[in-house]
Amino acid sequence: MPETTQFAGGGDNSQDTSLKPNHVLHNRYKIMGVLGGGGMGTVYQARDLNFTDVRKLVAIKEMQTQVSDGALRASMLKTFRREANILATLSHPAIPQIYDFFDLNERAYLVMEYINGKDLEILLAQTKELPVEKVIEWAIDLCDVLEYLHTQKPDPIVFRDVKPSNIMIDSLGKVRLIDFGIAKTFVSGAKNTMIGTEGYSAPEQYKGDVSPQSDIYSLGATLHHILTRKDPRLEPPFSFHERPIAVLNPKVPPGMIAIIDRALLFSGAERFRSCREMKESLDTLRYRPMMLPSSSQAPIQQPPNYPPAQYPPQYAPQQYPPQYAQPPQYGAQPQYQPPAPETPSTDFFREGTTNIGTIQPKWTFKTEDEIRCSPTATKDQAFVGSYDSNIWSLKLDTGELLWKFPTKGGIASSPVLDEMNRTVVFGSEDFTLYAVDFRSGRISWTFPTKDRIRSTPRVAHNFVFFGSDDGKLYALAAPNGRQHWAADIETPVRSRPFVTNELVIVGAESGEVAAFTLSGNRKWTYRARRNIISSPLVNMVDNICYVGSGDGFLYALDINTGFNSWRFRTHGSIISSPAEYKQLVFFGSTDGILYAVNTQNGREKWKFDTGKPIVASPVVHKDAVYFGGTDGYFYCIGAENGKERWKYKTGGAITAMPHIAGDVVLIGSLDHTLYAFPLGT
Amino acid sequence: MNLFRRFFNNQPQPKSASDNGALNGSITPGAVPTTKAESPLQETAPLITTAPILIPDGATRPLSQESLLTYLGGDHLIFGQLSDVGMVRSNNQDAAISYFVSSRSNDERPDFGLFIVADGMGGHHDGEKASALAVKTVATQVTSTIYLPMLSGQTDNQVPITEALTEAVQKANADIMTQVPDGGTTFSAVILIGDLAYIAHVGDSRVYLLTKDNIEQLTRDHSLVQRLIELDQLTPEEAADHPQKNVLYRALGQNEVVEIDTLFRRVPPKSRLMLCSDGLWNQVQDREIADIIRQNANPQDACNKLVALANKRGGLDNVTVILLNLPG
Repeated sequence: MPETTQFAGGGDNSQDTSLKPNHVLHNRYKIMGVLGGGGMGTVYQARDLNFTDVRKLVAIKEMQTQVSDGALRASMLKTFRREANILATLSHPAIPQIYDFFDLNERAYLVMEYINGKDLEILLAQTKELPVEKVIEWAIDLCDVLEYLHTQKPDPIVFRDVKPSNIMIDSLGKVRLIDFGIAKTFVSGAKNTMIGTEGYSAPEQYKGDVSPQSDIYSLGATLHHILTRKDPRLEPPFSFHERPIAVLNPKVPPGMIAIIDRALLFSGAERFRSCREMKESLDTLRYRPMMLPSSSQAPIQQPPNYPPAQYPPQYAPQQYPPQYAQPPQYGAQPQYQPPAPETPSTDFFREGTTNIGTIQPKWTFKTEDEIRCSPTATKDQAFVGSYDSNIWSLKLDTGELLWKFPTKGGIASSPVLDEMNRTVVFGSEDFTLYAVDFRSGRISWTFPTKDRIRSTPRVAHNFVFFGSDDGKLYALAAPNGRQHWAADIETPVRSRPFVTNELVIVGAESGEVAAFTLSGNRKWTYRARRNIISSPLVNMVDNICYVGSGDGFLYALDINTGFNSWRFRTHGSIISSPAEYKQLVFFGSTDGILYAVNTQNGREKWKFDTGKPIVASPVVHKDAVYFGGTDGYFYCIGAENGKERWKYKTGGAITAMPHIAGDVVLIGSLDHTLYAFPLGT
Repeated sequence: MNLFRRFFNNQPQPKSASDNGALNGSITPGAVPTTKAESPLQETAPLITTAPILIPDGATRPLSQESLLTYLGGDHLIFGQLSDVGMVRSNNQDAAISYFVSSRSNDERPDFGLFIVADGMGGHHDGEKASALAVKTVATQVTSTIYLPMLSGQTDNQVPITEALTEAVQKANADIMTQVPDGGTTFSAVILIGDLAYIAHVGDSRVYLLTKDNIEQLTRDHSLVQRLIELDQLTPEEAADHPQKNVLYRALGQNEVVEIDTLFRRVPPKSRLMLCSDGLWNQVQDREIADIIRQNANPQDACNKLVALANKRGGLDNVTVILLNLPG
């Protein structure tokens, strides 16, 4: 009956035919107990009765096969004999001595040196931390014994199974390599799903290619496990670089990290050429320069030296970036390269940030007070509201003033165009919504509310939708400003409504996100924990609404039901309204970061830290994200990778969204000025 | 004026007199009766159904594929489910659950469905215990944290669906760790709310989306060979008979914390979602799966035929299939 197992070789000892204590084997070895088991054999501790006066302990490995298939049994026995033969010819302090080998009752036995100690897997489980200097010592000794095996004649011996459970630390603290030959070949033809991978095996081993470089990989994997305490059997295979040692264990010196990283390179040819070479690199970590062995074949470019447990301050762990910076170089070997960025940049600014000053505004226009709202534009005319209470209309290509229109209060709501009615519509702190003819600058109509208007209007279906601090969401006929309906929300509505073919969605100070039918009936409500100033954005294909809240979350709501699909947490408030591009949603937070989040699962794709709160909304154009920060900078960054392309320092904080118009991007700053930057290429 | 019609006429029109009641919350089991009681192990019939078909009202008469298509799958989802031990194993370690609720009332609740396939691993019946526990835990959690609040209308400030689903799967993982320490299981779940599908996935059971002319695997196997393929170390052909093709690096019941893949998709009208254990996809090619599903308008028929084909090819493993036909 096929059985499934958890962890390959994990063993299921249901058929217990093991030898019992006090059983005397071969008239000589008195069984004391079981040391270990699993896989293909049991290991016993036994006393050698030939030594009557001393208590000589031995380890006896028994190969018992429950395999009925004769051919398979023969092959297993052959493997076992091979192990015995290999061990019998070897002599190295880290390899257990072999004393005897015999067959009995259809089982084969190998008698060898008993090692009083613990294997590294047990040590890992029983300790919180192993000293790095000790690990370096063990690594050197392991390189030494592996080099001994790899240089055997006529054929090198590849251990093939370096892992913590095969490495014993004896009572003197020295490493001993155990378990030769058993389970070296992968179990083939397994028909049952198994959990857990070998974890330590090199990629080429899965194709059946084995070389000394495979042992180097497994040694690297073992060292990585010991130092990071992240068991590779529980992680995706070959993902060591995703768990940087520098991050997980700051005590490990960069030189050691570089050595392990190189041992773990995917391609065998790029790893150390031999264990000897790896050992020489490790030696440089251990000794002071005058104690360095002089036998280096290839000139080793010195990694800095590290006295035990005390590193020069310039390499203090916190200064060592997690991205494997500056690995030591190894002679003529290919130099280790840090992993390439996730998405290679395809932009023209790949070399890095264009320095401040290389991008210059095409024109600027200074108003009489702070610009807190976003500009808008027709194909030849730009509009911007200022806290000086005016709407300014400028020529788009030169920034020359065409007209200005005064209200009785500052303007925080952004002007929007109503192309059909040839008006520009905006709210004012004087409680009034204005529609102004955009050619002449003459008033077309006004609509009074009972409090300040900070919500930017939305023109859709020939209606104007906007909110007011008086707690209402209004729908006005766009041609004449006549009220169609007003919905009670009860707390100030400062976000910009989003209008689909069926719904108007808006956020309010109470934290509610409300969806109304186009006839003004409430369809659903979602309550965030804090206020909503960020304007909802609806992806009309997925029918998902994205909106940020003062509680720090960006929410993804199903617009059919108002159910929350996922949310993404930032460490500040989200005032910035989201923008979307290719399954990514972008928004800023007062934690200073502009985030790009995957809309399909709500997970972060990249982030861009400005260091100062971001309240302004980003705009995406082509493959770039444009946004301003309260640090005064106007940024252009790559949408796919979050890499900065250029930035420009304005004279004040930026709190409003940019506007793309023709070949320029317009942005207003609290320095009173409207800037027009060329879009480039 | 067009606009006004949109403004004032946007309440859904009652479709029939029986729909006129203010609250008519009929709960509709989505499963459609199978065409005939056939053992999936004895499938020899051609895959294309041209034989007389028993339609759910009991009358038997021949129907063309077209009329069958228009008949089935009215305005809500229908589904089929089948789990089979296969031809070799002595026990079925797979577990599955499907439930679907459709209601019609003034409250406008969206349709809700939960579908799970879990493929257990471990000796001494630990495999089937682990998969059963995973299904039980997640179904209970999802019902209480997602569906019941939805039913009672308490959706203000509800926990995001993705988070609630992830938490449910984490709880299942913790339950397996304590209650079935030597067992493990794969886990693939779909929650359907209206036409929005939320997927949680660990291991190598799979979720597929089938549209008119495309079959897309939405989940990524957490298997060694898939990892080798992604790293360009194996071709899919080499992977198919790799000695370690059944080795997973992630499953429930393996570690205290498990990383769960989540995604959500707006599923197009008339598309199909299929959940299955590796007993199906190891034996039946994606293209064949797509063909059988397209040729069988009744999702239970399609499930029966898919399982029968896997068994015909040897049935080396347990096979479980859940198929959802979305309304048009």
